Amino acid sequence: MNKVLLIIRREYLSRVKKKSFIIMTFLTPLLIAGIYGLIGYFTYKGIKDTHDKIAVVSTNKTLTDKLVTDKNIEYKYVDQALDVMKKSLKKSDYDYVLYLPEFKLEDPKGIELFGEKQAGLSLNGRISRDIEELIRNQKLKESGISQNDLDQLKTSVNIETKKIAAETGKEESSSAGASTIIAFIAGILMFMFIMLYGIQVMRGVIEEKTSRIIEVMISSVKPFQLMMGKIIGIALVGLTQFILWIVLTFTISTIAATVLIDKADVKKITTSAEGNQIAKGTEVVTQTQGPIGDIQKNLAGLDFGKIISVFVFFFLGGYLFYSALYAAIGSAVDSETETQQFMMPVMMPLLLGYALSLSVVTNDPYGNVAFWLSMIPFTSPIAMVVRMPYGVPGWELALSMTILIIGFIGTVWVASRIYRVGILMYGKKTTFKEMFKWFTYKN
Amino acid sequence: MLSVKNIVKQYATHRALDQVSLEVESGKIFGLLGPNGAGKTSLIRIITQITAPDSGEVLFNGERLNSNHISQIGYLPEERGLYKKMEIGEQVLYLSKLKGLSTAEATKRIKFWFEKLEMENWWSKKVEDLSKGMQQKVQFVATVLHQPELIILDEPFSGFDPVNADIIKNEILELNKQGATFIFSTHRMESVEELCDHIALIDRSKKILDGSVDEIKSTYRNNTYWIEYEGDYETANAKEIFNVLQAENIKGKTLLKIQLQEHKTANEVLSALLPYVAIHRLDEVIPTMNDIFIDKVKRQDYE
Repeated sequence: MNKVLLIIRREYLSRVKKKSFIIMTFLTPLLIAGIYGLIGYFTYKGIKDTHDKIAVVSTNKTLTDKLVTDKNIEYKYVDQALDVMKKSLKKSDYDYVLYLPEFKLEDPKGIELFGEKQAGLSLNGRISRDIEELIRNQKLKESGISQNDLDQLKTSVNIETKKIAAETGKEESSSAGASTIIAFIAGILMFMFIMLYGIQVMRGVIEEKTSRIIEVMISSVKPFQLMMGKIIGIALVGLTQFILWIVLTFTISTIAATVLIDKADVKKITTSAEGNQIAKGTEVVTQTQGPIGDIQKNLAGLDFGKIISVFVFFFLGGYLFYSALYAAIGSAVDSETETQQFMMPVMMPLLLGYALSLSVVTNDPYGNVAFWLSMIPFTSPIAMVVRMPYGVPGWELALSMTILIIGFIGTVWVASRIYRVGILMYGKKTTFKEMFKWFTYKN
Repeated sequence: MLSVKNIVKQYATHRALDQVSLEVESGKIFGLLGPNGAGKTSLIRIITQITAPDSGEVLFNGERLNSNHISQIGYLPEERGLYKKMEIGEQVLYLSKLKGLSTAEATKRIKFWFEKLEMENWWSKKVEDLSKGMQQKVQFVATVLHQPELIILDEPFSGFDPVNADIIKNEILELNKQGATFIFSTHRMESVEELCDHIALIDRSKKILDGSVDEIKSTYRNNTYWIEYEGDYETANAKEIFNVLQAENIKGKTLLKIQLQEHKTANEVLSALLPYVAIHRLDEVIPTMNDIFIDKVKRQDYE
């Protein structure tokens, strides 16, 4: 046991002390925070800066109201012919010319938008919505509803999804949006971690083989001890990195949030986004009711302690499951270039689990596919952490964990039998058939 | 101290060792000889407990080989290597701790050895910065640091320059004087004659020769001599005493390789020749281990 500890110590320290580890650990959260910061900044700037001036040429007599100008879009009704406007568009300071012909309310046809540049999807949608609003109001007015009543009609509805926990009967607020975001992040992280650290195990084994230290090592320790020491040592490296990432990301984003974005701006974004939808915003929109506030509120509703501890468990389980296989592959080859043929069958279930988890499982986190994916140990580490934010019954979690534990004991056993023979084989091209033969060797 | 008894090791279709038995005496240097692929490394891997034999057993000081013996054995494999990115001092420390030494004790001994082999300032160097020969020295230190009773060296001198090979040779002899037993595995015979007390020859998974170096040599001498003289002598006259195997004339001197007839001695040759010629030298042709090795292996080929 003492020897395994020595090996774990070496594997751990030699990796953690590396420059690349330190750089990766500290740079990644900065990068992630930076990317999100940039996305946030540009989205915010985009909303603030969009300002289109539109000349409206209207020959329409049916619509009594006019399109309403706001912060992002300016409608100006001009008293000129369409042809003239089109020709002079280049010289004028209008961005687009909107043509509203006479039409029946039931069948509005012939509306056209001209511009030097192609109007973007959001602008197009925005104008259609405004016109639709106008037509609807017109129809309502014609059926005898007063302007006053019309204003009263406008309400903004926001569904608060609440989940009743089966065990406690307690209501928890939840949000499909927040859960999906967390599920995606967890799924991607899990995939990355298993891949990165599994491959590190393989590289470590190959390094010992090509540098020929392996023979010295296994004259002092058993192959199984060496393999387990390496696997556990690298697992601890992964765990260290994960914990540092969480701590650093949290710290950096908290600092960034407080320093860079002042509260007033957030309020403006949410209200203006909301305001667009309601056209003549008569309601006072509070900050927390905007979409961003909604996600914020529901993020707070998720049990992060539980999600993170489940994540750590499945990371360790999934990593142990796969890294043993990677160790076996490493032992069977002489250099990294030879690993491809063996990598495929190991990578496939992981990739499949990843792809299905982020599509099928996020769509239907309680369905059959989701259930089975989160039970089979090849895919359960990813599928389960993806399902976690939506809530998973306790017994399913326990069953999946048990299967995973049995699974990794199985792969470690199989891998160790291949490993002990493989590490002593030099200069031979290995096949699957041969690996199976090694597996059946006595000792 | 080490008895190998009827070891058999079979790999899928290839029998690596076939009923091999050896007896290594305490405090001796034992040479394990054989051409490449004969089964030397397979045998060593069994002694170092890297693999287990299919049948037969190995006794270490009378006890069946077990994991407690790992710390009693030092092994320098033919395929040598170290962790490339690790510092030399750290590395030797790690390897000796795996053999059961405490950090303090190991550090003390590493300092002692590094000083002895003039590598004091190597501690924080990385393996990739060292030459091949320097790496070998580091490995030698790592092999002997835990003061094993039995030290197994597989082709120990390959990769050393003559100066370093000499240093290592002297260290081996010194350790041997202090009581360490050595097993030398090699196919280079020169090193064997100087160092080994006892040898075993393995060819095609079987042991074909076993004995002390002196013993083997004397069995393989066949009364052959070199004789050099000045003057004329009709060798046909001495037919009852010796046969001429080879004759050469260089600047009036004659060089003969002769084989004595049975029960004849070198003295008789001299007394036959002395009246006629001036003798310059007479040497017995003692077969080198190399000759014996080649002779034995070739003879196996015929059978």
